[in-house]
Amino acid sequence: MTTVLAPVEGSAVGLAAVPDPVFSAGLVGPGTAIDPLRGPGKAVAPIDGRIVKLHPHAYVIVADDGRGVLVHLGIDTVQLRGEGFQLLAAEGDRVSAGQPVVAWDPATVEASGRSPVCPVVALDAGAEEVTAVAVGEVHVGDELFRWA
Amino acid sequence: MAERKVTVMAKVGLHARPAATFVQAAAKAPIDVTVAKTKGDPVNAKSILAVMALDVRQGEEIVIRAEGEGAEELVDELAAIASAP
Repeated sequence: MTTVLAPVEGSAVGLAAVPDPVFSAGLVGPGTAIDPLRGPGKAVAPIDGRIVKLHPHAYVIVADDGRGVLVHLGIDTVQLRGEGFQLLAAEGDRVSAGQPVVAWDPATVEASGRSPVCPVVALDAGAEEVTAVAVGEVHVGDELFRWA
Repeated sequence: MAERKVTVMAKVGLHARPAATFVQAAAKAPIDVTVAKTKGDPVNAKSILAVMALDVRQGEEIVIRAEGEGAEELVDELAAIASAP
């Protein structure tokens, strides 16, 4: 079992609330989404593992057992080309759950006309494998969901 | 063995929507299918993690291979998704 932690502070709203059908229809995988607290913050690793992909707006951490979790910081944020995001780790780094990966400000993303909502997705997981999904207020490092 | 080489045309590369659509289509098929960068090792085309980690950018060529019943149709479908702008 993998316990996935909240990478950002805010309100857990579920993937259905994400304004991008790729996430809201579960095409990327099951999980949830966090409507983040506006203001400067640090997005952290949701699990222990290695950063296999690190973009300013998104990252994937893969655990030693091969399970990967995607954290996407806002929607359509690839278009910002890294502006407003600061990398605090490097691709290939080993990180512990809770370790900062990217500094950003959801308010800046929102000001650009994009949704700052953050999908947190269990990659290649079946929908039934994700349980105990948090709803409502979450702090960085709180348990967000379990991956059986 | 059915094989197609295509250039990824989506601005975001084989990420986000194109990656999800590609993997979704691959996962529906009952046969094995892989995707690789030219000269790279093939990865499971049914795994969103593997496809994301492959990190295909716009303008890069990929090779899609499948074997078994319906392989030709499957690689055609995946090639069409990957090469869509």
